[in-house]
Amino acid sequence: MSAAARAVDVWKVYGSGEAQVIALRGVNLEVERGKFTAIMGPSGSGKSTLMHCLAGLDSVTRGEVAVGDTRVTGLSDAGLTRLRREKVGFIFQQFNLLPTLTAEENITLPLAISGRKPDKAWYDTVIQTVGLGDRLGHRPSQLSGGQQQRVACARALVSRPEVIFADEPTGNLDSRSGADILGFLRRSVSEFGQTIVMVTHDANAASYADRVIFLADGRIVDEIENPTAEAVLDKIKSLDTLAVSEDRVEVAE
Amino acid sequence: MIKASLRGLLQRKLRLALAVIAIVLSVGFLSGSIVLGDTLNARFAGLFSTINENVAVQVTAKDPDAAEPARLSQADLDRLSRVDGVAQASGDVSAEGVIPFRTDTGKAVTAQVGLAAGVDSRGDTLGLVELREGAWPARADEVVLSANTAKLAKAQRGTQLKVFVPQLGEARTYTVSGIAGFAGGRDSLAGETLVMFELKHAQELFYGTTGVYASASFGAASGVSQDELKKRIERELPSGFKAQTGKEATEEASNALGDSFGIFTIILSAFAGVAAFVGIFLIYNTFNIIVAQRSRELALLRAMGASWGQVIRAVLLEALVVGGFGATLGLGFGIAVGVGAEALLSNMLGVDLPSGGVVVSMWAVLWSYVVGLIVTMIAAFIPAVKASMVPPIAAMRETVRPDKSLLGLSITGGAFLVPGAGLVALALTGIGSATTLVLAGGVVLVFLGVALLSPLLAKPVVRLLGWLLGRGQAGKLGVRNALRNPRRTAVTAAALMIGVTLITTAATVAQSFKSSIEDIVGQNTGVDIMILGPNTGPPNGEIGFNPAALDEVKKLPGVTDTAAWHITIEAAIAGTPAFISAADVPTAKRMWQMQEVGGQLRTLGAQEMVVDDNMAEASRWKAGDQVTVGIGQTSKKYTIVGIYKRTPTLQGPILGLPAVDDFAGKLAYQGFVSLDDGADVAGTVAKVEDIMSDYPGVTVGDMSSFARQQSQAFDVLVNAITILLGVALLIALLGIINTLLLSIVERTRELGLVRAVGLSRGGVVRMVGVESVLISVFGCLLGVTLGVGLGAAFVKALIDLDFMSKFALPWANLAVYVGAALVFGVVAALWPARRAAKLNVLEAIAYE
Ligand SMILES: Nc1ncnc2c1ncn2[C@@H]1O[C@H](COP(=O)(O)OP(=O)(O)OP(=O)(O)O)[C@@H](O)[C@H]1O
Ligand SMILES: [Mg+2]
Repeated sequence: MSAAARAVDVWKVYGSGEAQVIALRGVNLEVERGKFTAIMGPSGSGKSTLMHCLAGLDSVTRGEVAVGDTRVTGLSDAGLTRLRREKVGFIFQQFNLLPTLTAEENITLPLAISGRKPDKAWYDTVIQTVGLGDRLGHRPSQLSGGQQQRVACARALVSRPEVIFADEPTGNLDSRSGADILGFLRRSVSEFGQTIVMVTHDANAASYADRVIFLADGRIVDEIENPTAEAVLDKIKSLDTLAVSEDRVEVAE
Repeated sequence: MIKASLRGLLQRKLRLALAVIAIVLSVGFLSGSIVLGDTLNARFAGLFSTINENVAVQVTAKDPDAAEPARLSQADLDRLSRVDGVAQASGDVSAEGVIPFRTDTGKAVTAQVGLAAGVDSRGDTLGLVELREGAWPARADEVVLSANTAKLAKAQRGTQLKVFVPQLGEARTYTVSGIAGFAGGRDSLAGETLVMFELKHAQELFYGTTGVYASASFGAASGVSQDELKKRIERELPSGFKAQTGKEATEEASNALGDSFGIFTIILSAFAGVAAFVGIFLIYNTFNIIVAQRSRELALLRAMGASWGQVIRAVLLEALVVGGFGATLGLGFGIAVGVGAEALLSNMLGVDLPSGGVVVSMWAVLWSYVVGLIVTMIAAFIPAVKASMVPPIAAMRETVRPDKSLLGLSITGGAFLVPGAGLVALALTGIGSATTLVLAGGVVLVFLGVALLSPLLAKPVVRLLGWLLGRGQAGKLGVRNALRNPRRTAVTAAALMIGVTLITTAATVAQSFKSSIEDIVGQNTGVDIMILGPNTGPPNGEIGFNPAALDEVKKLPGVTDTAAWHITIEAAIAGTPAFISAADVPTAKRMWQMQEVGGQLRTLGAQEMVVDDNMAEASRWKAGDQVTVGIGQTSKKYTIVGIYKRTPTLQGPILGLPAVDDFAGKLAYQGFVSLDDGADVAGTVAKVEDIMSDYPGVTVGDMSSFARQQSQAFDVLVNAITILLGVALLIALLGIINTLLLSIVERTRELGLVRAVGLSRGGVVRMVGVESVLISVFGCLLGVTLGVGLGAAFVKALIDLDFMSKFALPWANLAVYVGAALVFGVVAALWPARRAAKLNVLEAIAYE
């Protein structure tokens, strides 16, 4: 079976000349279907960039990206729109919801946009999983940050996309609410076979994943399968020393 | 602080541009109409100074409108021309309403003014009129034409030319002995026609006797000033005359003409005022949104220690810069508009006026800055105060503020609406004299009231409209967006409402007039053919047709009755100006089926009259009462012998035919013809037309063609009003574009989000389009409702005055307006929707 998403020798360069920033330097990645993949790395290492490229939100400078069996690179706007409707779901760090819609309307928005009816049983399951039963009629302004992120999760899940991309979904939450969200994501992978790619800074968050990818300076530098929080922390430390020693080398030169 | 706010200004180029455009448009049309008026006036001033160029002193009757105005005798003129310092003297013999007929079609020449003068063999000694070819008229049957007249009448030297002379009440044929032009090679002074008769013949025609002049002009010998010559001439003046210097005469004449053009300028300014009023909504809304969007930035400044005053000052400074810039550009735009409109107008009217240069008066500048600068500052001040009252932390957290209660706003709205409606009602019942002002004030208050109430209406109405129009998810999102800020939607819509209201009011009144007329036509009064006087000037007895012509009409087969109707508006009843008719009452009673309400409707003798019941009631008159009637300069006591029931076609005081002696002329202004049942109406109309062909501007038609003509006139009027309100509509359109663009900036992140969850570009376009159409249709519906209401109020007042008989809704127009609003909404959405659709999804999501 093919990967849920794939990056082949992906380069991403922003700007040109003096202001040129190389955000990704030849990234190769296969996101396994039905797995929970976390992407970690220091700030500015290219995590968000990689995720955006994988999701077709951003174009790559070189290389190729595919979601399922759809080649993302080179898709027209209409093609990208179809991709977003049918194959990917998003959870952003914040501002996930339309303030004019109720929680329920926000959840069903992707389906409504593509003119699909929610599968009643699946919808109920999702609502139950994220535990929003009594809040469905509320507007985002009447929900707490944690509740808003749960709505965002439900929205991503309800259309059963090929992959859900989440960029620091717990970044703005306290640890309790964050743990709740991570719990849902974990369950949706384990129980429903959903594929999820999540960017995070938090070793604890990464420990919910099946696999952690480490990015540094636009390159995949390491990865761990079935991580624990301690293992992730250790890895980060060792990567930091590596970076520091690289710095020393540069200084020595 | 100041630097920070100015930099903030420049970083928001789009928003800045929108605000400036809003100001430029509102200011431009207001200052444009002022510049137009002033420039036209300057042209007329130029015209009269050309006419009086060589005139040092002018001697005119003190009271030229008197029934028997004083005339200068030949002896007076000779004496005055011997005054020391007089170089040239010219006695003026002139008349208006003298109209030549075209030699090719036989139809009367249609010019704005038909002048006539008497000249002797020396021609014009003051050098205004110069003979170009031929000779000055030497005999009573010769005339000289101005080059313009010759061109319009297709006449040449030697042509036999038919000329209508109002004093004769008929046309006569003359031989063209020469063609003349004006100093400076001009064919006319201002597009008028000029027929010059032999002096003695002219005196006889116009004054009934030879050797008299109405006025005289004198040229000064070199070294004698106008004032000096005036003093010397004054010593020799016959009684009843006054002397003016050429300069004074020029001023007086151009002021008089300026006054008559003034009404035109006032109407234009009124429409420009409406546009500016709409513009105020636009400016207010723009600044309101801009400042609201910046409230986070302002809060940040506050959190960093800026005081309340500093924040407000920073916003006001911005408004000052933007307003000043916009007002200046607007003034420039206005000058261009004024000049362009003036050229267009002169061209359209065929008025060939000497150029007077572009005039930009103080008023144009003043109004530009009042509207541009002060309104902008106020528009910015209110939201700035609101923004500065939000606690810094709340603003920075970007909590979506819950809907504020509309209660206070609605109460304020009611506080405007109720007195506004009261004023309108008051004005329409005609209490007090400053009716127009009260009406305008009332309507403005009603507009403000409805605008303030409209946020309350926006929710239910937009929801209903959205249910009809907002199909599909994109449509639903558009409906939600239109509903999310009812104030914004409402203010934007209210700008459109104003124009639509005024147009609908006009259309409603016009439709009611039209169906009233149709009713009358359907009522078969016994009048089958109408003869109507020319609309070249106000009826006073000098324009129209000779009533004797009706004797010929009466001889036509099938004609049973004819009635001549003399009308003058140069009249007053019991001191108030009135529109007076004179006719044979028994004939009128028979033909119009007049109903006797009091006294007797019989043949009237001298100083006897009948009045309608409405008038009798209002003035508490009854049969037998005496009333003072002024006609021209005469004033006599008339006895009311009868009172008749007023109808929309027949109303007002009717005097007996002897009264026509006091009118300025003996021409009838209208005529009515009754036919046998089964008579050939069209054939008779043609024959009557033939009889009337000697009378310029007189039209003949059967009742239905008359009704059609009236309907068309109303359609033209409504169309003219619509076009003049076009500017206001354009500004409203811009307002919608503006609101949408600003909203899109505000909702950038949301746009990114909906795109990320799969909304296509087309979907985004549809979403913005639906919001736009909702705003536009909501505004249109408000306007249509309010317009029908105002129209109904006007119609009621007019029905009470018996000017019309019924109220009718202009359904077709209303449907067109709503349809146009749909199109309007789509057009307004084009640019904003494109912008929204083009947003890069990722950048939109990351947008701060
Ligand atoms: N639109 C852009 N234009 C120019 N440079 C950009 C742009 N977006 C990202 N970059 C640069 O690319 C690099 C990678 O950015 P990216 O946002 O992927 O980092 P990140 O790993 O997500 O960091 P963080 O943990 O802070 O979110 C950074 O150096 C950033 O400055
Ligand atoms: Mg990031």
